Parts: sequence; C-alpha cells; structure tokens
Amino acid sequence: MDPQLTSLIVPAEEAAQIEECLSHLVEDTGGNYALLLDKSGQVIVSQGDGIRQDITALGALIAGTFASSREVAKLLREKDFRMLFQQGVRENIFIALIEEQWILCVIFNKGTHIGLVKVLTKKATDELAAVLERVRQQHKSRDEVLGSSFRTSMEDTIDLLFKD
Amino acid sequence: MALINVAAREIHCKIVYYGPGMCGKTTNLQYIHESVSPDVKGDLLSIATETERTLFFDFLPLDLGKVRGFQTRFHLYTVPGQVLYERTRVAVLNGSDGVVFVADSQKEKLEENIKSLKELAMNITRQNKKFQEFPIVLQYNKRDMPNALPVAVMDRYLNGMNWTRHEAIATTGVGVFDTLKSISRLVISKL
Repeated sequence: MDPQLTSLIVPAEEAAQIEECLSHLVEDTGGNYALLLDKSGQVIVSQGDGIRQDITALGALIAGTFASSREVAKLLREKDFRMLFQQGVRENIFIALIEEQWILCVIFNKGTHIGLVKVLTKKATDELAAVLERVRQQHKSRDEVLGSSFRTSMEDTIDLLFKD
Repeated sequence: MALINVAAREIHCKIVYYGPGMCGKTTNLQYIHESVSPDVKGDLLSIATETERTLFFDFLPLDLGKVRGFQTRFHLYTVPGQVLYERTRVAVLNGSDGVVFVADSQKEKLEENIKSLKELAMNITRQNKKFQEFPIVLQYNKRDMPNALPVAVMDRYLNGMNWTRHEAIATTGVGVFDTLKSISRLVISKL
C-alpha cells in the first residue's frame, strides 16, 4: 500500500516500552522531561515531572526546529544534523534524531551535565530505534484498531464542531 | 502520516494550509481560532516577523474530543507564503496528512497561485508521496475583491485534478469552515 495512505499505529505493548525507556532516561539523567515525537511534530509519548499543558505546542516547535536544521544541513551538504542542543538560563533541551522518522527530546536543568544527557540519550535512541522499527513493521488495518463505524462517527463530529 | 496511539487511545492528524504570500492562510486559522468552541481549540501559535508576515508557521491544535473511544486531534499549520521561504515550506509540510491550497482570487495573483501549486506538487513528490492521490482541498479566497477572477477561469488553471473546492472570504469567515470540514473528512477517509 502507498505509505501515505497508511497511518502509524502504535500498539499498547510498544507504547509501554517507549514509556519505560523515557522514564529511565529522565530518572538516570536527573532531567525534567523526555518526549518522543514523530517528525511531523506529533507527540507519541512524554514522561516527566507533572503534566505540561504546552506539550502539543512544544512538539510542533521542536519538530519545526529539527526540520529547519535539516534544511540547513542540506545547504552545507550534510545529510542532517543528528543532535541539537539549546541552552537556556534555567532549562536546556537536547534533541536527537532516531532513524529518519523520530525525534527524542530531553528537557533538563543546570543540575544535570550535558555529557551525561548525550551518552544516555544515545543509549536510549538505540533502544527506541528497535521498538519503533517493530511499530513500523506491524500491519494492522484501521478497522481492526478503530472499528468500522469510526469514520461515520468522525464525520458527524466534524459537522457538529466545525461551524461558525 | 496520521498517528494512532492505541495505549493512550489518541489519533493525531496534521493539516497544512499552503499557498502564495498574502493569500489568507493565517486569516483562515485566525477565523477558526476565534469561532470554534473553547473546548475544541488550543492556543494559536504564530511565528511571524514584526510586520506580521508568517516567518516559520502558525499552529492551531483542535481537539475533537472522544470519537468511538479515541481522543482525536487535528493539528492545523500554515506555511510562510513568501517565495524566499521555500525550504521552510518543505520543513512544515513534512509528515502532513492533507493540504488546503489557498488561492488568491485576484487576477494579478493567478501566476503566483500557479507557481505555488507547482511547488506544492514538487514538494509532495519529493517526500515520496503520490501527488495525484494526496488529500488536497482548494480554497479560492478573497471572492469579495472587485478584481476577482471568475471561478471557471481559476478552475481551468488550478483545478485540473478536480479537487473539492470552496469559494471563501476568510476575513469574514465565508467558506472557512466548509474548507476545514472538507479536508478533515478527506483526511479521515484516508486514515
């Protein structure tokens, strides 16, 4: 099937493994938050202290930063930049590319050393790459996951909510 | 590529508003943001220049609530329209599930519309997607302008693929939600 017509379906088992991996990463680095995004900016899993209200916007912006850096890389005749580091006064963000499709992001404060984040993120990207490859390989149909009447219900919801 | 998270029971879809500079992409998002129920919308995020031209993108998350047990979210983006930002458009288009092509109906803008649509086709093809099969909805915006081209003329130059198209005046909201409904339905049908 044409890849554009398939959705990415993350099964419960793989989602749990990703959560566990991100929890370890936050715990072991002493970071505040870890996010796994797909390159379109959608947050797949997030782990960390408390609930962030801004997580959706954060995902969109981080993916934007990465996509933009990839275009810069191309102009420099690099394939892509595989890691990005943004340093703030209180908090820092370390971003790493997993395969060509995913982005792992760790938010941490000045109590954590960047070297540790780099090493442990590398370890996590290897683990996540294996899990995400399994996600990519599995072929479940939409109806199997969502049920056959999903589309009709969705259309009704769209009509109900999208109006002046 | 839409994302279905079975454990969290969430579905995310990305819709991008594309088109030449000043055609009204941001205005579409602003109107949607002003008009939809507060339960549905998130914050409208704009990365713009000091003169309010889009520099990177605008972003509006819409949460449709639970549909058959799945929390469903549409993420709307606009690209910067100015010719200069071609590579930025490529970046924003990445991973989109559907595109609204907003065309400016003014006759002086026809050539820009055609160029922008060609660029869209090229960018989608470069992402290894088939342009002919990609979910696209057309919007002919600024229908209230005195120099607006007849719809039939715009169809001839822009709608060779026979996409669903809507006439719109985004500043007052005419056609904005019809366009959003069309592209949402199209994206859902391809999940």
